[in-house]
Amino acid sequence: MRVQVFAILKDYFDKEFELHENIHDMPALRERLIQFNPAAAGILNSCRFAVKDEFIDNDFQLAENDTIYIIPPGSGG
Amino acid sequence: MTPSILSHQEVADELALITSNPLDIVGLLARAHHPQAGAIVLFSGDVRNHSNEKSVAYLEYEAHESMASGMIAAIVEEAKSKWKLTIALATHRVGKVAVCESAVVVITASAHRHEAFVANRYIIDKIKHEVPIWKCEYFADGTKEWGGNCNCHTITGEVGKHVYEL
Repeated sequence: MRVQVFAILKDYFDKEFELHENIHDMPALRERLIQFNPAAAGILNSCRFAVKDEFIDNDFQLAENDTIYIIPPGSGG
Repeated sequence: MTPSILSHQEVADELALITSNPLDIVGLLARAHHPQAGAIVLFSGDVRNHSNEKSVAYLEYEAHESMASGMIAAIVEEAKSKWKLTIALATHRVGKVAVCESAVVVITASAHRHEAFVANRYIIDKIKHEVPIWKCEYFADGTKEWGGNCNCHTITGEVGKHVYEL
């Protein structure tokens, strides 16, 4: 799967990267990312995740060819 | 040659909801007039020169552009269904935005001022809290900070749930 991060998360991860692991849902992906970079745990726990322009919930089943967008809390305006 | 005159729907339809170009506030306002509107409210979110007691050089905005566009359009439509508005539009910049420039504009118009004010506030609050747009403050001392995040989840206890939904 492909992961794309935004804003402050770019201080912790590459903007885009591939993950070739058996990760099937958002909680598992979040845990894996926290393992990669524990310093990002706080911000990751406040993020929403999206696939194909829609926010996903914990039950959403991730597919190998999905691109997952990790969306920190907004700060527009 | 006669200049083309756009209907209000066309003005809203042709507007880029996310843009890297400067926002033409006066042009947008000029096109918001309507014979049935006794009130036009324009909100401009401007870049100020200070934040957290530090001097701000400029801001840079980033967005998940397709999601942000879709969500702004949905918020504007929601406002139009809640209040009787002759026009409702919103547009937000991405990229570098200088001090005194507008980062976001929301225009609402209605027969009487109450609805235009309330709808305008509703739209800008939702954009600020919910739409995937982020600002990075670049300070005069050379430092930067991703700033002003919505921290509602610390109060509501649920990521993506905001204080006004309690």
